[in-house]
Amino acid sequence: MSRLEEIIALIQHIPPFPKVAIRVMELLKDPDVQAAQLAEVIQYDPSITANVIKMCNAAYFGLPRKVSSLDDALVVLGNETLKDIIIAGSSARFYKGEIGAGYMLELGELWKHSVAVAIMARLLVRHIKNVDPGSAFTAGLLHDIGKRFLSSFVADDFARIVQEVDREKCSFVTAEKNYLGISHADLGAMILEKWQFSPEQVEAVRRHHDSDALERDELTALVALSNGLVISMGIGVGVDGLATELHSEGLNRFAIGSMELQLCMADLVMEMEGAGEILDL
Amino acid sequence: MGKTIIGISDMKVSRDSEELLITFSLGSCVGVVIWDPLAKVGGLLHYMLPQAKLDEEKARKKPYMFANTGIPLLFKEAYRLGAKKNHLQVKVFGGSQLLDSSNIFNIGQRNYQIMRRMFEKNNIKIDAEDIGGNVNRTVSLEIGTGRTVLKVSGRGEVEI
Repeated sequence: MSRLEEIIALIQHIPPFPKVAIRVMELLKDPDVQAAQLAEVIQYDPSITANVIKMCNAAYFGLPRKVSSLDDALVVLGNETLKDIIIAGSSARFYKGEIGAGYMLELGELWKHSVAVAIMARLLVRHIKNVDPGSAFTAGLLHDIGKRFLSSFVADDFARIVQEVDREKCSFVTAEKNYLGISHADLGAMILEKWQFSPEQVEAVRRHHDSDALERDELTALVALSNGLVISMGIGVGVDGLATELHSEGLNRFAIGSMELQLCMADLVMEMEGAGEILDL
Repeated sequence: MGKTIIGISDMKVSRDSEELLITFSLGSCVGVVIWDPLAKVGGLLHYMLPQAKLDEEKARKKPYMFANTGIPLLFKEAYRLGAKKNHLQVKVFGGSQLLDSSNIFNIGQRNYQIMRRMFEKNNIKIDAEDIGGNVNRTVSLEIGTGRTVLKVSGRGEVEI
């Protein structure tokens, strides 16, 4: 079996995304969904239930009062916030442990990067219209899921990949694909497909390192931009550093200039301070 | 040795000879290291953006976020702890950028330029620098010895 086949075969063994989360996302497409209907589904997953209650009391979501039961939580939470909480709570389990070592990421750094990109994606919705904020948050949170599974293969070819980046001045993802036959973006898209996320989200993950991503559909542009800014800020960045190519011409159509980008970076620093509970999931 | 981590938009000045100041992961942000070998006072600033006028309210809450509010505070605090301007060694790091053909993402470069202008105006010489490119840098300073170490992810570490 070639190494590429070996990598692709891995996908069969990746555990499913929690069914309860997927069912709740479907229910939440109906704006008139009742709290009782949601509780009916959520209560069967104790870890999601615990997360919903815990996150209700997190500073990041800024809710007015303490909640202690699922029913209370669902009454207090808006549907958008509930979506974010359930996705964050369901995704965190895939980011546990020493998972980014091949990319020289310390423990917890890949999750921190993912949360930062998700929050940045939500912030950028103010400039990039026609994107559902919940979809943006989710795609941001999962954009690097491929790294989790590609990390050990990157470790095997580490020296050669790093040398190629230095020698050719190419992006890390280009060298990754040259040596492994697949990039973490491609692999991530395959995983999201398996998990039955929307085609737009799969596309956004697949193309988040494409240099022309900002000229593509809105969600793709938004995730690529969020990732680019968070990488610039050095949050959860490993050996790949800033070696990612992103052509900024595509920002003109959203009327985003340097000032808008800087304001979002400043806002992210503030929001990350309130996001401790998400990081501890 | 006590280790103090300096996060994004943060700063620390110390005269505790057993302390190590370290900042992880400078991308487009800039890290400024200053050290007075006579007073054994040193400091590290990690700022993210060039100008506080971007958002005055944030600049009040987090003055270390911006070059033009953070850098003066770094020097002032070092003077307060006994450092002298003409003794200070100054080393600067960071200011990387993404691979982009136009200039919107050049925040790293702007961060560096404003610092140079401020230093020129105030007659402050940069003794060493490692700036630009597409890498991610970690920088540390030992207060007792002034030993400054730069680590570039995946490419090892060097004393600067």
